[in-house]
Amino acid sequence: MANPKNEKKRRRRPELSPKKKRLVHKFGEEDVVDYKDISLLRKFMSDRGKIRSRRVTGLTPKRQREVAMAIKNAREMALLPYTQTKQ
Amino acid sequence: MRSYELMVIYRYDMAEDDVRAAVAEVEKVITDRSGVITDTDFWGKRRFAYEIDHMTEGFYAVITFDGDVELQTTLDRSLGLLDSVVRHKIQRLVK
Repeated sequence: MANPKNEKKRRRRPELSPKKKRLVHKFGEEDVVDYKDISLLRKFMSDRGKIRSRRVTGLTPKRQREVAMAIKNAREMALLPYTQTKQ
Repeated sequence: MRSYELMVIYRYDMAEDDVRAAVAEVEKVITDRSGVITDTDFWGKRRFAYEIDHMTEGFYAVITFDGDVELQTTLDRSLGLLDSVVRHKIQRLVK
């Protein structure tokens, strides 16, 4: 006999979340990630100024390294923030 | 000879003509030491993404040049000693 109370308590299997959209940016074969290209690098940062993970960016390991390095270089030259609070 | 890209940030309280003169001086050092300047880009005054030594803006200039390793090291050292330079960065250009 099903108890209505127990029925309610029973955990529902979490529904499979739809595949999240990745921030896809197509890099050409010959493209070099430039630390001066701030508008491009911004795409790989969160609102708080953190570098987005590869899971989010969907970049290849090599490209992710290049992008991360470029962001760090841009930070040194005060082109991009280390941290940022939401406006 | 190697290709380098130099970015320099000058203090905000300098006159723009003085900054341009300072950039020209850097160019002269490069050419005097048998370097070849391929491009000079003067960005002008720009806001910093964060405060540096209580400054919120500065003059940016980017010089691309070809030169020897010795030129790069002397440039790196002397720019670090200048009071008018807030920050500088020399990058090797790979082609």
